[in-house]
Amino acid sequence: MNLNLRPVLAALLRNRTGAVLVAVQVAIALAVLVNAAYIIVQRYQKVHRPTGIDEANILVVESAGFTARFQQNAAVQEDLAYLRALPGVIAATASNAVPLSNGGNNDSLVTRPDAPRAGYINDMEIDEQGLDALGVKLVAGRNFRHDEIQPGRTKLSISSFVPEIIVSRALAEHLFPQQDPLGKQVYDAGNQVATIIGVVDPVMGNFPGSDHPDWVFFVPRLPDEFIVVRYLVRTAPGQRDALMRLIESHLAQSNPDRVINYVRPLGYFKTLSYLADGSMEIYLLTVMGLVIAVTSLGVFALATFNVSTRTRQIGTRRALGARRRDIVDYFLVENGLVTGAGVALGCALALATGYWLSLHYALPRLDLYYLIGGVLALWGIGQLAAWQPARRASAVPPSVATRTV
Amino acid sequence: MLGYYLRLALMSFRRRPGISALMVLAIALGIAVCVMTLTVYHAMSGNPIWWKSERLYAVTMDNWDPNQALNPKTNLPPPEMTYKDAQFLYRSDIPLRKVVMYSTEGVVTGAGSQPAAEIATRVTTADFFPMFEVPFLYGAGWSRSGDSPAQPLIVLSRRENERLFAGANSVGRTLRWNDHEFRVVGVLDDWFPRPRYYDLNGGNFQEPDDAYIPYGWGAALQLQNKEENDCWRPEKLDNFQDYLASDCVWQQVWVELPDRATRERFQSFMDGYWAEQRSGGRFPRAKNNRLSDVAQWLRDNEVVDNDNRVLVGLAFAFLALCLINTMGLLLARFLNGAALSGIRRALGASRRQIFAQLLTEAGVLAVLGTVLGLALAALGLAAVHHLYAAAHLGQRGGYQELTHFDVTAVTWAVVLAVAATLGAGLYPAWRIGRLSPALYLKSQ
Repeated sequence: MNLNLRPVLAALLRNRTGAVLVAVQVAIALAVLVNAAYIIVQRYQKVHRPTGIDEANILVVESAGFTARFQQNAAVQEDLAYLRALPGVIAATASNAVPLSNGGNNDSLVTRPDAPRAGYINDMEIDEQGLDALGVKLVAGRNFRHDEIQPGRTKLSISSFVPEIIVSRALAEHLFPQQDPLGKQVYDAGNQVATIIGVVDPVMGNFPGSDHPDWVFFVPRLPDEFIVVRYLVRTAPGQRDALMRLIESHLAQSNPDRVINYVRPLGYFKTLSYLADGSMEIYLLTVMGLVIAVTSLGVFALATFNVSTRTRQIGTRRALGARRRDIVDYFLVENGLVTGAGVALGCALALATGYWLSLHYALPRLDLYYLIGGVLALWGIGQLAAWQPARRASAVPPSVATRTV
Repeated sequence: MLGYYLRLALMSFRRRPGISALMVLAIALGIAVCVMTLTVYHAMSGNPIWWKSERLYAVTMDNWDPNQALNPKTNLPPPEMTYKDAQFLYRSDIPLRKVVMYSTEGVVTGAGSQPAAEIATRVTTADFFPMFEVPFLYGAGWSRSGDSPAQPLIVLSRRENERLFAGANSVGRTLRWNDHEFRVVGVLDDWFPRPRYYDLNGGNFQEPDDAYIPYGWGAALQLQNKEENDCWRPEKLDNFQDYLASDCVWQQVWVELPDRATRERFQSFMDGYWAEQRSGGRFPRAKNNRLSDVAQWLRDNEVVDNDNRVLVGLAFAFLALCLINTMGLLLARFLNGAALSGIRRALGASRRQIFAQLLTEAGVLAVLGTVLGLALAALGLAAVHHLYAAAHLGQRGGYQELTHFDVTAVTWAVVLAVAATLGAGLYPAWRIGRLSPALYLKSQ
């Protein structure tokens, strides 16, 4: 391309307003696109963090007893026996809360009695099939045995603890950095001691929204007698939905002293937990698309306007020997200059916006790769949008120069 | 004159329908995005009891762990109180009205042939209904004497009354709640304060509870808070009495303080209690006894989340982009038609008349763009609504309610759009008006 910038610049400077407006549009577009893309990628990564849980094949049942006759521990054993005998069920456990639902129990574990507490740690009550029902992998130590599962606490034993627990690898590394956690002792909020007998990895517990969703420990105990019970049931692939209908119709009838509040796929709770992130992604993607459309429209309109007001000049250049190629180049160079100026302004704007967001909204500082990508993309979009008007300009015949009107 | 300008504007649109449509579309998109974002933002940042927001106070005291705050980022006291502190403060006669409460769950049976179902139930003292101005369809709440010893009285939400009694006036009927007999004394009318400021547990836009029972039942039936029970102190919790005496927080306390003097009296009452308890070994952290009015409470609990502020910023950036775009297109179009304006000037039209004519043209675009934008916004909000409904998430979350078209937001967006498009037309119109007519006549 023959880059003869002086005449292009001279023409631009004589008719600044339109060019300035397009450059400003490009600048705003760059700032919006780069920061929106950055936020989207972060949300996507957050939602898709590994959970270690077989999310697609787990269903959740919530049962609530309400009469004085209701015997929760007996009901749980009966329900579990029913669930485990169903063909297509891989494992089933009773638990106090639903994984990934942002609801559940926290405790604070420390490595010495009476040590100052720091941070809250998610604890989940499960039985010997609990790890299997979640689908999480035991990477060290052993699972709970059936005879180690304690009955649900009554109101007379709220603060009792268990002798042995299983912890997530992330929690083990937090409590005992660079040591073998197996056999180590930890103390709960009441200074009661428990021994670590197993380590699972990875696992995200009940609280995906917390600062440390992977600090989890498992307690071998049925849920407390005076709260609702959740059953986590892992099924063979493809069987979950059919089993949900079957389980709901059976359990709703099996015990008149309780109600089944729901039977739902685990995905329901995960979607709900990440609802805000999901909507943010959709919204930002939509606005990004619109920003690109509106900006290209602006570039296209400026180029079209410039071509239509310069028909005679183009004809004159053609009559004086300019090739069609030269005309196309002229308009693309003009467009490149305008978008280039916009992009340069946009870089400053994008960085300022990114800095402001990181300051006020606890987002990490903008990654520069996004800025480079945004610059290239917008410049390319600008050239594409100007392409058609430039081609049309090159089609102006030299004879136009000789016409008076 | 205006009719003539409008005719000219229409002629000009017909001459270039494509570019006119693009301008209208650009304005419409900017408006649509803005209206949608503002609607959701407005719903979230609303103060649903603004008329007495400065009289209602959430009461909190920092009884937490000396080594770490419950929320180290904000250093606010726990949002709920211990049972014993709540009991003590409730006994004060300083507030005009006072409420201590929490939400639990109970299974309702014995009302006709309805299947047993577990419903969210608020255990609360009697002032809840007058203090938060809860509307009744039938009957009323109970009096303070019903709280303790607890009388078997229950108030139902309108929806629950429809489920159990097909919407009939059920006052005086009985039902079983967790297998205890209760008598219905009142049925609420539709009531859904957004956000649910008086209890932000479990989500800011949760629906109100389905039933309400007198506070004394909490201790009598050993009912726990279904959402938040936070403990920090290593202490014996071997039965419900231990729990009531513990440093665990799970009780919500609100007071109505009609003026500054009462407020100060109640604050010093709290501070006095705090000092006395502290000398007995409780409240190991620095003094942080708060009376937060509704607006402060919503700010402290970050009801409007950061995402929404970012989105509002983004929406305005996009609107700016659309308007600059329109300004560019208008300028191009007016310059293209400059020869016509030149002829009109030569025939005696004043600069002001040219300016007025071109501004009318911009105004017509603004109106068309705004109408189309509002239609698009309505479509967009319907889509959002559908999205939540499709995920089965709407039934109890109240998220759908956020997407209702809201008049204030729409009014603002319309004013903004028309003003902005006219603003976008100002500069081009002014420029054309200033051109010397001779120049454009000659160039023909």
